Amino acid sequence: MQIKEYESSKLNEKYYEIEHSSGLRIFVLPKEGYRSTYAIIGTPFGSINTEFDLKDGKVRVPDGIAHYLEHKLFESEDGDAFAKYAETGANANAYTSFDKTCYLFNCTEQFEKSLSILLELVTNPYFTEETVAKEQGIIGQEIKMYEDSPEWRVLFNLLGAMYHNHPVKVDIAGSIESIAEITPESLYTCYNSYYNLHNMALSVVGNVKVEEVLEICDKYLKEQEKAEVESLFPTEPYEIKEAYTEQIFPVAVPIFNLGFKLKAERLHTEEELANLDILLFMLASSTSPMYRELMDNGLINSTFSYEMFEGSGYSAILFSGESRDPEKVAETVKAYFDKVKAEGLDEKDFADAKKATYGDALGSLNSVETIANMLEDFYFSKRKVFDYYDAITNATLEKAMNILNEIDTANSSLSVVKGE
Amino acid sequence: MSTNIREKLSDNVYFNEINVDRFKTMRLTAIAMLPLEKETASDFALLTQVLTRSCEEYPDFTALSKKLSSLYGASLSAGVRKAGETLALTFSIAGIDDRYAFDGDVVSKELSELLLKVIFEPKLMDGVFDSEEVEQERRQLIDLADSEFNDKRVYANSRLIGIMCENEAFGIKRYGSREDILKSTPKSLKKAWERMLKGASFEVFYVGGATAESAKEIFKEKFAEIDRAPEKLHTEIIREATEVKRVEESMDVAQAKVLMGFRTNCCKDDEGVFAMRLMNVILGSGTRSKFFLNIREKQSLCYYCFSRYNRFKGILTVESGVENSNAQRTVDAVLHELEEVKKGNFTDEDVRLAKLSVASDFVSITDTVTGNEEWFVSQLTDPEFLSLEETTAKLNAVTKEEIIEAANKLTLDTVYILTGKEEFDAD
Repeated sequence: MQIKEYESSKLNEKYYEIEHSSGLRIFVLPKEGYRSTYAIIGTPFGSINTEFDLKDGKVRVPDGIAHYLEHKLFESEDGDAFAKYAETGANANAYTSFDKTCYLFNCTEQFEKSLSILLELVTNPYFTEETVAKEQGIIGQEIKMYEDSPEWRVLFNLLGAMYHNHPVKVDIAGSIESIAEITPESLYTCYNSYYNLHNMALSVVGNVKVEEVLEICDKYLKEQEKAEVESLFPTEPYEIKEAYTEQIFPVAVPIFNLGFKLKAERLHTEEELANLDILLFMLASSTSPMYRELMDNGLINSTFSYEMFEGSGYSAILFSGESRDPEKVAETVKAYFDKVKAEGLDEKDFADAKKATYGDALGSLNSVETIANMLEDFYFSKRKVFDYYDAITNATLEKAMNILNEIDTANSSLSVVKGE
Repeated sequence: MSTNIREKLSDNVYFNEINVDRFKTMRLTAIAMLPLEKETASDFALLTQVLTRSCEEYPDFTALSKKLSSLYGASLSAGVRKAGETLALTFSIAGIDDRYAFDGDVVSKELSELLLKVIFEPKLMDGVFDSEEVEQERRQLIDLADSEFNDKRVYANSRLIGIMCENEAFGIKRYGSREDILKSTPKSLKKAWERMLKGASFEVFYVGGATAESAKEIFKEKFAEIDRAPEKLHTEIIREATEVKRVEESMDVAQAKVLMGFRTNCCKDDEGVFAMRLMNVILGSGTRSKFFLNIREKQSLCYYCFSRYNRFKGILTVESGVENSNAQRTVDAVLHELEEVKKGNFTDEDVRLAKLSVASDFVSITDTVTGNEEWFVSQLTDPEFLSLEETTAKLNAVTKEEIIEAANKLTLDTVYILTGKEEFDAD
């Protein structure tokens, strides 16, 4: 078992990376002076992983199964994990995203017991016809809750407009129809492939020592044989599917999502990501001339935001907000990006944007939750946390310009949800 | 470790220094408290936005944003919230701790000064606020008021409070009504600003590693120049519901939203408040509550069903999202679970675990910058602030009998159901 140490004197942080003998990848970042500990274990199995290749053949599972599995893993033969966590006072939860499923807790005492519950939870599946059926009603209502959320609708309508085939366009929880097809057997198939310890990572941050974590893992985890699984994705053209999509929904203020679809052959590196974050701050934050123009013309309000959105086989820059004239917003954003592409970036603004991006990233290191999630995300994206921070400090105008030149504003979709 | 120092700077103006060196950022928040009134709520809400948009030195929002971005992307924010029938106007600035700046930059002092500037030195034109800036912020506040309708959970909750507290100040929305937002003028905002400086009770919170001495001094100086006359703050507590109001509305939604409002006959100044908080945990807050275990897990009626206790106003609200056809069943299920708690059908172990979970949540919030501030903000208008240890001790002293007693104080006031159109018509 090898323990690697990563230290950043500038950030005053240090973390450890361990390849545990069980196969599990472990990250530990002790935070001095903190009284709580946050632990999260994840697998790169999200809503997009509905087709995969096992050694003995290809498998297609129902939409929403990763999320369904997340709910069902909380139950074991001897009861529900929430009840066990209650004994330690830990606050536990789980979530499923496009490309991973994570289980977590935050505790202030009885860390060993809480971590053992977490490890037991992900290593002891228990699915029966009866327990699987019981969840249909609960998840059915979760799906309907999201159906009533215009933010959720506008995002999935956008993904449906940008992507022809990629499963990122499918709702994370699936549909009432698709989850009806889920059986204990299909859950076990997914579980046995993706919940193999060799495919998972545990991150622990806060009031904790690395030895403590390893001791508990030694005690509760057995060595596992590696499971081979490869996620399969349909071929996705670079071009968007539709430029515009609209849904009528009872809203008083129309909302929009605008997406610039990017090439997605591989994920961005730490350096590309840092330069992209700085670039987007320059072009779209409240300091930018574009934001000013949109505001002065009454086109956006302070809900306007942007984000980088990427994973296996999909990559896009998303803008969202409320607007009485979304098409005009899209036009302004695209024209501004094109203008900067032609004219170049301002040096002083770049220096300020770099500082602001650094300040923002630095703030994330306050929270045990944010750090632990960042360690998981970065691991599954094959990135290193401190390299990202260094890349912000070392960002240059030229690198940012190169990123900007890869954005084709014509390859974009606009999604609008508005009232009748 | 942290030290908390509370110092009186002026009449009803307090500076709270929460010294913690484990964070990489600092935060300074000033909260001005005034009575929640229909006539002025919109002015105050709009005022917070106009004040943090610019100031005398940085006269438009691009100039101010650029200044913030040069200060390592510091964030300046403002808003309004209700603490019972007190309107709390909140102004915050947050940015990196000096230890993490490049080349020995000193940021924290500038941040403190900037917050002071937006509160005390606004950009005025002919003695009033700039009408163009007011229009920009008015448009956005109207969007905010309108967009409440977008999110059906937020909307349904707002309808519940509106119906339940129709004749109380608590029924007023934190930013007033659309009509009142339209009535605000540069002049009425100037008046609101002056009233705030003179009549509001202030709590200032500093969370950070460096000393807050300079920030404290400037606040002191600024308030010394003002002829203070703090206004009285009061919240009307309706002890019992006399009849159950029931309102059903329909809309094109996929899921029915079921909301219930109870009078608790127990608010923050009452003896039983800690028992009521634990009663809320056992009844409907968290994954060990009766709502979660029975209404969600056993009956599979919903994805979410929880209760929330508002100690400022002495009310408890319940929210859930269910099939249209299950709306009444959910109301009955909620009342049944409450009945169980009233009868004492829970164990000492349930009480112990509820206390453990609350205590653990308390400790965890001190590990975030905003949590340190929020701990005290949640006690606004209380005669004194309790520390985490003091609050935990009071919760731990609560007995099962006191929780049963708390549950028995609840009376149902309002049921609000928002259902989807088709099924509603068919019923």
